[in-house]
Amino acid sequence: MTMLEIARGPAMQVSILIMVGGIGWRLAGILLLRRRPQRAAPRHGFVRRICGGLSAILSRFIPRRTFRRGTAVSVVLSAVFHLGLAVVLFGGAPHILLIRQITGLTWPGLPKGIVVMASGLTLASMIALLVRRMTHPVLRLLSTVDDYLSWLVVFLPVFTGILLSGETIGGYATLLSLHILSVELLLVWLPFGKLMHGLLVFAGRGAMGVTFARKGAAT
Amino acid sequence: MNSPVVAPSRAATVDDAGRVDQAMRGFLAEIGSGAALAMEACVHCGRCAEACHFYVQTGDPRYTPIHKIAPLRQAYQREVGPFAFAYRLFGLTPRVTAGQLATWQDLIYDSCNMCGRCSLICPMGIDIAGLVEQARHGMFDAGLAPADYLGVLAEKEHATGSPFGLTRAQFRDMLHQVGRTHDVVMHVDEPRADIVPTVSSVDLKTYPASMAAIAKILNHMGAAWTFRTDGFDADNASLTAGDRAGQRAITLSIVRAAMECGAGTVVMPECGHSFTEMRWEAANTFGRSLPFRVLQITELLAEGLADGRIRVNRVAQTATYHDACQLSRRGGATAAPRVVLHALGIDVREMADSGDTGWCCGGGGGVALIKRAQALRAHAFEIKRRQVEATGADTMYTSCSGCRQTLDHGGKSVNWTTTVASLLELVAANLKD
Amino acid sequence: MDDNETMGAMLARRGFGRRGLLKFAIAMTSSLALPPSVAPVMAASLARARRQSVIWLSFQECTGCLETLLRSPSPTISSLIFDFISLDYQETLMAAAGSAAEQTLREAVAAGKGEYLLAIDGSIPVRDGGVYSMTGGRSNVSMLETIAADAKAVLAIGTCAAFGGIPKAYPNPTGAVAVEDLVAGKPVVNIPGCPPVPEVLSGVLAYFISFGALPALDDRRRPLAYFGTTIHDQCYRRPFYDQGKFAKSFDDDGARQGWCLFELGCKGPTTHNACASLKWNGGTSFPVESGHGCIGCSEPDFWDAGSFYTPLAGATLPGWRNAAIAASVGLVGGAAAALSGRRKTAPKPEKTP
Repeated sequence: MTMLEIARGPAMQVSILIMVGGIGWRLAGILLLRRRPQRAAPRHGFVRRICGGLSAILSRFIPRRTFRRGTAVSVVLSAVFHLGLAVVLFGGAPHILLIRQITGLTWPGLPKGIVVMASGLTLASMIALLVRRMTHPVLRLLSTVDDYLSWLVVFLPVFTGILLSGETIGGYATLLSLHILSVELLLVWLPFGKLMHGLLVFAGRGAMGVTFARKGAAT
Repeated sequence: MNSPVVAPSRAATVDDAGRVDQAMRGFLAEIGSGAALAMEACVHCGRCAEACHFYVQTGDPRYTPIHKIAPLRQAYQREVGPFAFAYRLFGLTPRVTAGQLATWQDLIYDSCNMCGRCSLICPMGIDIAGLVEQARHGMFDAGLAPADYLGVLAEKEHATGSPFGLTRAQFRDMLHQVGRTHDVVMHVDEPRADIVPTVSSVDLKTYPASMAAIAKILNHMGAAWTFRTDGFDADNASLTAGDRAGQRAITLSIVRAAMECGAGTVVMPECGHSFTEMRWEAANTFGRSLPFRVLQITELLAEGLADGRIRVNRVAQTATYHDACQLSRRGGATAAPRVVLHALGIDVREMADSGDTGWCCGGGGGVALIKRAQALRAHAFEIKRRQVEATGADTMYTSCSGCRQTLDHGGKSVNWTTTVASLLELVAANLKD
Repeated sequence: MDDNETMGAMLARRGFGRRGLLKFAIAMTSSLALPPSVAPVMAASLARARRQSVIWLSFQECTGCLETLLRSPSPTISSLIFDFISLDYQETLMAAAGSAAEQTLREAVAAGKGEYLLAIDGSIPVRDGGVYSMTGGRSNVSMLETIAADAKAVLAIGTCAAFGGIPKAYPNPTGAVAVEDLVAGKPVVNIPGCPPVPEVLSGVLAYFISFGALPALDDRRRPLAYFGTTIHDQCYRRPFYDQGKFAKSFDDDGARQGWCLFELGCKGPTTHNACASLKWNGGTSFPVESGHGCIGCSEPDFWDAGSFYTPLAGATLPGWRNAAIAASVGLVGGAAAALSGRRKTAPKPEKTP
């Protein structure tokens, strides 16, 4: 078996299974804990509470006006990173193929030039975020192994993807193998570290939004 | 760094291991899926620091809100989280140690007002203020609540129902005394009443006129009301200290007193956390929904002004309004005071950050009761001072005696010319005859 | 034909002059990616050279490789190369049969000892003592062993000889292996392809005859000049790939407009060969040009590398059933963790104040 066959075959299967099992484990482990009852008379009805949850999910993408100055660097860098990643992930033709293979859904891809540019921006923002994490006093204090590991397992696919698109060194098959393997590393780590925020962010914002809307407080 | 202060009544009885054990149990007790979700979702982005007045003013990264609950998160990850076994097995998260708890005392108490600004900035929707409250449970159980004013008051409150150890008789005398002084009819311990008002210890100690103001307004409304000496002090210092049992006792005594006289409405005084406790937590403590409404005094005023039970003279004045965090951001009663201010015809100059995003006075969450936190409180006051002065108003109204006292003290220390005043007392002074 | 006649003399006798030889040398050097200055040298060497003895053994194969090499449109420069060699043994082409053929082989080996090139097409079955492919009672393994021992170099022609090819594909009932798996201590050149591009063999032979050595090889012992790039690198449809324009099915609008066949499973990006530059049938076309994706026939184990129609970026997924099992295992584990967590977060027993 060549490295590419391993990457596309057994390694892909194993990593997906670990990811699926891990996500199930983590979600069950969180959601099956006790639920604290909310018995106080709500200020708002069911519909407004649900709307509060939905609005929190949307509104927290951009901080409130008063917080914008303090968080500008963090917000801009992470927005570039996330949007760039989304463009690459959902606009890159080979990625769309994979999504079609899994889900049957498909849409037209973006021109390669745009995808390459987006991945370049993503890479640049990631490096900037890493430098910031290593130098900003608050981030240095908060950062754990998880933060750096999660950064690495996202960085590798972006980096190998860029190499792959230009077929710079090592040839297509080698680069493709490395790219797929790095994605598999990401899949394997996803349920266990902070990358899980990709799912938890919606649950977290939604739950907070519903709770606060119940009180009639700002979400 | 402050040296750890251990509540004297507990210090002698517990060694380090025992203290850590008690803290762990206190941290974990009643952690539900909501708190778990919050702790799992953090991505260490550090944005919460930008919402915290203590970080913004000092630049000290230790004051990053999510960092303040690090011991709680460690306890959760090692004992409760989905992968707790792996965290323990591989030592991915260190054990909480006695030394760490001592180090964290000033982070969990002195430098957190539980004002919830950080909960508003968090891109993951983590209610950090709620987690600090949870963390205080562990600290209190380990005897690590600051032993000065806050610890003493909470202990006395737990034992007697009043942070100052007031007996029912003393309270009754005090109310009648206030009634005589302010020439207002007081109702105390009536067997039946529609409305039961409560007071806060700060009012008892510093602003007794506010109790007269409540009486005057309720009389003006023609309401059937009464103070109840079996449930009068809503202060709940226990809540801010982290004493769950004390918190429960205070809350339940008010619930029972109100039920005793068949009240339809319990009115919370000008106080922040006593409102969030009674409005949003009491039913959970009680175990079912409450048989009465809970209104903060500004909500009662707004309601009375709207339905004509309260009629006021217009006041030609320019003023700004300070939102108590627990009333607006944490309690959802942001609109009521503004309704009242407009009904009085006051020209309200809002601060740059007001309502839901307003800055804390610096005294909330019991911090006002920690003597050594004085210097930190001054930092928070500095932000407030700037924002108030920018409005050009010479009077600042507020609906929380705790805020009022903290701002008064802050103002005195800088010879401030701005007057800090009570919205409740303003209404009482301008009732139409 | 006199074996000592130089090739220059022989070609001249057949009306193929110095100019023609130089043109051939230019074509060969350019296809071998050598500098143009080498062409006259190669032409001169070729003119001086004696005809090279080649012994060609066919093992577990389909004769497709030989057919391809023989049926190149004539007259072509590639067919001419066969005039430069003395094909001393080739079962399909030789007139002799039976014991006469065996006698020919023995004589050829003895005559050219240490000098002949050994060309192999087909893989070699080794299971059960090699009984699955025998010639005149001798197994392929044993023939290869003895005849390769006296060869100057070994050419593995076609994917079967080079990498085992289709006989080696799962489940490989005969235990087929590649030439390089059995030949030790001899230079081996792999010229994979099913079939291989004829010009590649011509080029390698021309180089060997001219310079007495093998051309530069890659890590799979393939001539770098022909296998250094992929089909994808040289493909005329590459611009469409770069623009993200893909045919989605074999008869859609994209396919008609000649868009990239990547999504239809083209293996061009992972296939090293010269099809896209040299093309087939005298430079007429190659599979991608005729509308079908590359199937990667010159790559090792291409038959087992999934469907020809699965796009390269695709993956073999675990399947819904396995995913459901993994999810269940996760949920059960998580539920157990939550149960243990519930115990630890139980509210403290109430003290009545």
